[in-house]
Amino acid sequence: MSEQERPPEQPFEDSQPETLFIQHFCEEARPLSYYLKNMSGYSALKKALGMSSDEVINEVKKAHIRGRGGAGFPAGVKWSLIPKESAKAKYFICNADESEPGTFKDRDLMRYTPHLVLEGMAIGAYAIGAHTGYIYIRGEYVRETGILQAAILEAEKAGYLGKNIMGTGFDFEITIHRGAGAYICGEETALLNSLEGRRGEPRVKPPYPAIAGAFGGPTVVNNVETLAGVPFVLNRGGDWYAKLGRITNSGGTRIYEVSGHVKKPGLYELDSGSVTVRQLIYDYCHGILDDKKLKAVIPGGSSAPVLRADEIDVVADIDPMLKIGSMLGSAGMIVVSEDYCLVRLLARIVRFYAHESCGQCTPCREGTKWAQDILDRIEGGRGHQQDLGLILQVADNMNAKSLCALADAAAGPIISFVTKFRADFEAHIRGGKCPHA
Amino acid sequence: MPTCVIDGREVEFVPGQNLIEVAKKVGVEIPYYCYHPGLSVVAQCRMCSVEIENVPKLQPACATLPKSGMVVKTRSPRAVQNQKAVSEYLLINHPLDCPICDKSGECDLQDYSFEYGDPHTRMTEERRTYVDLDMGPVIVKNMNRCIHCTRCIRFGIEVAGIHEMVATERGNWTEISTIDGRPLETDYAGNYADICPTGSLLLKDFRFKRRVWFLKKTPTTCEACARGCNMEIHQDGNVIYRCVPRENLEVNKYWLCDEGRFNFHYIHDKDRVVAPMARLSGKLEVTNWDRAIEAARETMNAKKPAILVGSDLTQQEAVLLRDEFLPRKFPGAPFFHFGTPEIISSKDDGPADKILKRKSRTANLHGLEKLGYNGFEKLPAGTDAVLIVRGGRAVLPELKLSKIVGIGVFKRKEVESFAAVLPGVTFAEKDGTVVNFQGREQTFRRAVAPPDGCKGLPEVLMTWINHKEGAR
Repeated sequence: MSEQERPPEQPFEDSQPETLFIQHFCEEARPLSYYLKNMSGYSALKKALGMSSDEVINEVKKAHIRGRGGAGFPAGVKWSLIPKESAKAKYFICNADESEPGTFKDRDLMRYTPHLVLEGMAIGAYAIGAHTGYIYIRGEYVRETGILQAAILEAEKAGYLGKNIMGTGFDFEITIHRGAGAYICGEETALLNSLEGRRGEPRVKPPYPAIAGAFGGPTVVNNVETLAGVPFVLNRGGDWYAKLGRITNSGGTRIYEVSGHVKKPGLYELDSGSVTVRQLIYDYCHGILDDKKLKAVIPGGSSAPVLRADEIDVVADIDPMLKIGSMLGSAGMIVVSEDYCLVRLLARIVRFYAHESCGQCTPCREGTKWAQDILDRIEGGRGHQQDLGLILQVADNMNAKSLCALADAAAGPIISFVTKFRADFEAHIRGGKCPHA
Repeated sequence: MPTCVIDGREVEFVPGQNLIEVAKKVGVEIPYYCYHPGLSVVAQCRMCSVEIENVPKLQPACATLPKSGMVVKTRSPRAVQNQKAVSEYLLINHPLDCPICDKSGECDLQDYSFEYGDPHTRMTEERRTYVDLDMGPVIVKNMNRCIHCTRCIRFGIEVAGIHEMVATERGNWTEISTIDGRPLETDYAGNYADICPTGSLLLKDFRFKRRVWFLKKTPTTCEACARGCNMEIHQDGNVIYRCVPRENLEVNKYWLCDEGRFNFHYIHDKDRVVAPMARLSGKLEVTNWDRAIEAARETMNAKKPAILVGSDLTQQEAVLLRDEFLPRKFPGAPFFHFGTPEIISSKDDGPADKILKRKSRTANLHGLEKLGYNGFEKLPAGTDAVLIVRGGRAVLPELKLSKIVGIGVFKRKEVESFAAVLPGVTFAEKDGTVVNFQGREQTFRRAVAPPDGCKGLPEVLMTWINHKEGAR
């Protein structure tokens, strides 16, 4: 039986451990009734409301939930940074601006299990003492906006959100705010600016959002997947959640998104740190399309430095990835087969970042566009030998030199692509055209 | 005081000051574009990034407050590399049209590029260009020169109180513009040109008039209202080309209103009376000083003269009038100060807007009041002759009299009904002190020589006193 014909119910997949989210990814899971019946819905919130806020935060700290948006900052620590007393109102914000190319987990979480996200938000809001919540959702997620809105109404009607939740006297109201199509608004301070009605540009830090965030009040911004994990932490305990992770400091499960030239692209939920990139590609995704050779993997959304085919035996989690000079980011893996031109891929990635730069900081505003121009030239066969050294310097000069990480997100791929696949770029320059064309 | 180390030097600092200011105090220059001490910190030009020991990333000095024991390196290899990189980035799309740019010579981008940049360009792509819109009467914009520091946007919001400058588009295509391309509305628009670190926003008034390195600078005080903003007069060849604000945190901070900035134009106005005039054969005509003085003395040789003194005169001039001239020539005659309609005493003066302007449109209302001058409301009954002494800005009251003598700076139109005019000098042509609304004594400095026919007030008064009948 060839790889392609293998039915989905192979023993390999049967042996998968229990997952938290993915088995509920179906249309039936959406209503509140399903959530209450099959996912012990809102019991975690009820439990949390019976605890002190410190106890909730400690439980989440114990669970080692690391931020699933890309930076991997522990959620419990983030919550604990919020001052207990504040003259200004506090805010709890869900970052649903999932806009990193290659990332599509939050969409399904919101589409199929919206109540999980809402419950996670309510628990977080209780832990930090916020009474207003926002879901900043990317504008393209029209359908998900409707689903979340319906879920909010459902939950409010049932008394799980709104005023006096479950008779405990705790108020928490959620408003959905749609973005207008800017990648940068996924950066938390740019998100806050956009939410306040300003231009979506990152702010100077400090002050950090935990001290002065939305409308000047202490604010927590958490990713959708991070929040979806929170109800499980409260229901089953932080220790249980932490133990799902197979390596230290990384609890729970993680949704890997695999796209590109694999036979079975899609979402794979696995315990944190339990798989290598190779296993993901060859075991879970059944290998490369048409059984071609693997050329490269972008392991964590398009901003992650690329991995060569010989580097994929790394455990797909935050710390191991950092160790080899890449990053897990949002766990959106883009797999590239030997057939595809990496110069073209890099040019397209950099074009994206040049287009999405907010234009505040000099290195990013000028550097991303310059890099794009150079890459377009190389890809079009009009490159010079010096261009490779130049583009590496352009990338280096914008790396870690701006307010936010957008320039780094462009510099990482440039540096990694050009150093790891230099021959491909040289072939373009020498041949005067794309060898794949 | 706590100390930190900047480039190997131990430096004391006042907590709350950023690294740029602390370094400046000890003579270490940290280059910057977007930072301005009078505006909020955005840390986006990245030119001021410095290395701080035990901090992995370079940190923008404008947004970094020193801590005790912090070790800062402004010229470490990494910091220098960043300065070089930012300089290169800012120049790849800059037109480098310094030879025809009015900012050239006082341009931050030019200065820092020489100091920190690389003389060679590696950019071979097409440069970014923009189409520019009219920005109204004060400012002319050249977006191609812009380095997106957003000082202008922040100035509008934070100082002028009007959000008229905005950034449109984004990333490399960001354009600094006004909302919908409307003309600027603020009457502080000249400051946009001052704070612009390149030649992107320039004064229409100054454009193509003079290269800045020819200009001689004289520190002085603005005479356009009772605030007395500190400013500099820039002149060359006895012609004033522009006025720019001079920092004084207690008076005007870093700013100047357009009225004060362009006030100097009356000095070179072709309608200014620059030769003595007298009504000789029924018509006011230009004459020599002797005849004019004679006519003035004759006119003022009246039963009930009154003296009006402009509140745009300096303290010294007012004292001279009060203590020397008036007791000798017009003992007992009533004298008043005048300047702004409706503003009779300093009690009537108040803020005219939320920024700098005061209701009194002359500089020395508060000073004259201190010297015992009373505000002018109406002439005492029976007054048959009036001597008006003014600097050039005080608004003349309407007088229904034929016997009026003017000493000072007038426009031709204003003196049509006068019997004699003895032309004086403007604030830019004399030294002196004025007292602003805070009671602060500030000086005018002579920046240019007066036109040939004009004389300073002391000289005019001396001539008047010593004039011998029929001496000509």
